[in-house]
Amino acid sequence: MSRPSDYVDAGARPQAEGPGDGIVQPKLGFVGTLRFIWRQLTSMRTALLLLLLLAVAAVPGSLVPQRSSDPNGVIQYFDNNPDLAPMLESIQMFDVYGSVWFSSIYLLLFVSLIGCVIPRTKHHFQAMRSRPPRTPARLQRLAAHTEVTLEGGNAGTAIESAHALLKKSGYRTELYQGRNGDVSVSAERGYLRETGNLVFHSALVGMLLTVGIGGGFGYAAQRVIVEGQTFVNTLLDYNSFNPGRFYNPDDLAPFAMTLDKFDVTYEQKNLNAYGQPIDFTTRVTMRLPTGETEKRVVRVNDPLRFEGADIYLLGNGYAPKITVRDPEGSVVWTDSVPFLPQDGNLTSLGVIKIPDGLDEQIGMIGFLYPTAYKMETGAYTSTYPDLVFPVLTLNVFAGDLGINDGAPKSVYELNVDDMTQLSGGESGVDSIELMPGQSQELPDGRGTITFENVNPDAGAPADQDATTTDYAGSVARFASFDVHTDPTVGWVLTFAILILGGLLTSLFVPRRRVWIKATDNADGTVRVEYAGLARGEDPGLGEAVDALAFRHGTALGLQR
Amino acid sequence: MTRRMRAAAIGIAAALLLTGCASDPLAEQYKEGSNKGYIAGDGSVTEIPEAERGESISFSGTTEGGDQISSVDFAGEVLVVNFWYAACAPCRAEAPDLQELSAAYDGKGAQFIGVNVYDQADTALSFNETYGITYPSILDVQDGAVKLAFTGTVPPKAVPTTIVLDKEGRVSARILGQLKEASILSTLVSDAIDE
Repeated sequence: MSRPSDYVDAGARPQAEGPGDGIVQPKLGFVGTLRFIWRQLTSMRTALLLLLLLAVAAVPGSLVPQRSSDPNGVIQYFDNNPDLAPMLESIQMFDVYGSVWFSSIYLLLFVSLIGCVIPRTKHHFQAMRSRPPRTPARLQRLAAHTEVTLEGGNAGTAIESAHALLKKSGYRTELYQGRNGDVSVSAERGYLRETGNLVFHSALVGMLLTVGIGGGFGYAAQRVIVEGQTFVNTLLDYNSFNPGRFYNPDDLAPFAMTLDKFDVTYEQKNLNAYGQPIDFTTRVTMRLPTGETEKRVVRVNDPLRFEGADIYLLGNGYAPKITVRDPEGSVVWTDSVPFLPQDGNLTSLGVIKIPDGLDEQIGMIGFLYPTAYKMETGAYTSTYPDLVFPVLTLNVFAGDLGINDGAPKSVYELNVDDMTQLSGGESGVDSIELMPGQSQELPDGRGTITFENVNPDAGAPADQDATTTDYAGSVARFASFDVHTDPTVGWVLTFAILILGGLLTSLFVPRRRVWIKATDNADGTVRVEYAGLARGEDPGLGEAVDALAFRHGTALGLQR
Repeated sequence: MTRRMRAAAIGIAAALLLTGCASDPLAEQYKEGSNKGYIAGDGSVTEIPEAERGESISFSGTTEGGDQISSVDFAGEVLVVNFWYAACAPCRAEAPDLQELSAAYDGKGAQFIGVNVYDQADTALSFNETYGITYPSILDVQDGAVKLAFTGTVPPKAVPTTIVLDKEGRVSARILGQLKEASILSTLVSDAIDE
């Protein structure tokens, strides 16, 4: 931004001081210091440095889990790194994008950009309205210079046609009368370069503002839905909800979404990718309070837009339907419990809590293996994600689930501090193992548990050793959704286009001055000089001046 | 820029900054990452004066006992609608208070109706047995009809939420989260009955 030190009206260069005087710096004073800091801050160099720093400062946000996007990850991190985590916490590593240091960088960048753009805009505006400068006396001194001597004609007509030619080529022109009887046209082009540059910078500020503040007007929320169940877009019905700073949850659009069917296609031809999911199709029914319904489909990377909300498919898994009966045989609890997938073959972990109906509260930690395979160690593993040979194993705990006094507990964890283990592990009792349709007694005669086959066409419970039974559809699936609105997307796109357009314009539009001067010689010929001056990098200047001379010659009817 | 515009701009900027800095309980809850699976309320009470109430709400559904009930069945009565589910810790904690109040207002102009947002019938029945709940609950997990009916101007924003509907079916009060004291709800209900 600063002008070169040897510009024309810089005044005399400081003379070398005599030896022994030392270097005497002028005192800046308070205002002077402020001005100095302001100059430094608003220099292009600082802006670039800050932009780079912003990119670097954003890196830790992807190395360490962030509260804003992955609060559970943060808790995990604290558990796994009890020494490191509090240290990172003290420098706001878990809230990088809201931290003091990150904010200072982008606020400084803001100030720097604005402080840079405003004076430049003012300067550019004035430059656009001013006339091209007077033609220099000695054009041959300029870097790009060429000269033609015309037989016949006169300087006036030569310049007239030059004037027309330059105007047609998009130059701003001005005619000048020289002292030695010569006439010349002074022309300048490429104001668009600076305009582009300013658009680029302003759009960058706009982009930062949009992302920084605009994001606060949206929200992101998550919800797990089991097949056949319905979610209603109210705060009540979300599993978790992350509002933007300025978002009012009363503004949630009222609608209901029923998960009708969740289909997965698995790769079965390519043995190297055997069992990889190829396609997820989520069939949903949307319903408005007015009663209107609409069948829609949600796919990965193809969100459902409905009533201003974007609904993304986030994850999926199995939700085995479990029924628990008391010792007398009456059902005390039944539900489809979402089990969280632990690996690519959907070995899934789930927690089942039976708070009521039995003598003591029961908690169960279960593993579901969609295609179970017993390893040599005796433990199960899943070898394929679809339901070929589903097995559910459960470790049973009895005692206090810890939810009666109103304190919230994680639905994906079982706190066994106040519970005794009845089966599995070190209890000495085998874990419960069930296939769809089978039932088993709970330890100590506490009742029975059934792993329901939800396929309506399923026959009688299968024999444990049978391998021919078709278990397709025996376990319901669940899908998790991320619902969010981001009112800024349109603006972000607009600013992105402006940034790119501005940058390209400022890079590829050359800014140059061109002069054409004609002088009547004493012998009746006319001397025409062409010269160009680059403003900034302009490797094409020489060629451009030559081309101009050629076209001017053609226009004047020069024979070649 | 005129002086007034400048003052307005500063005012707006200050307001944005202040709202930005104030801690938002909903955002805090998200950052806790407790995996509790529901949005909790802080027990805050909203009362709506009679003149400012919105549309009247009507709803219907199947109860845990298999009966069809509808808000129309209780026309002219004050309705207390409690959104809950069995494994929700604050719902369990407030259940005795709700049962006590429901018994106290039985036949005195107010009817309690539960809306179970997650459970199946058997699970809800076991809960009722634990806490001796005698009022009916509509099971809403499969079709969400009742939740959708309540997405009006004063929506339920937490589990549990207790909403008092006046005699005309309009929302007259809302308690977000666990009931702090039975007397709070009792006052809201008797106010609605006395209107």
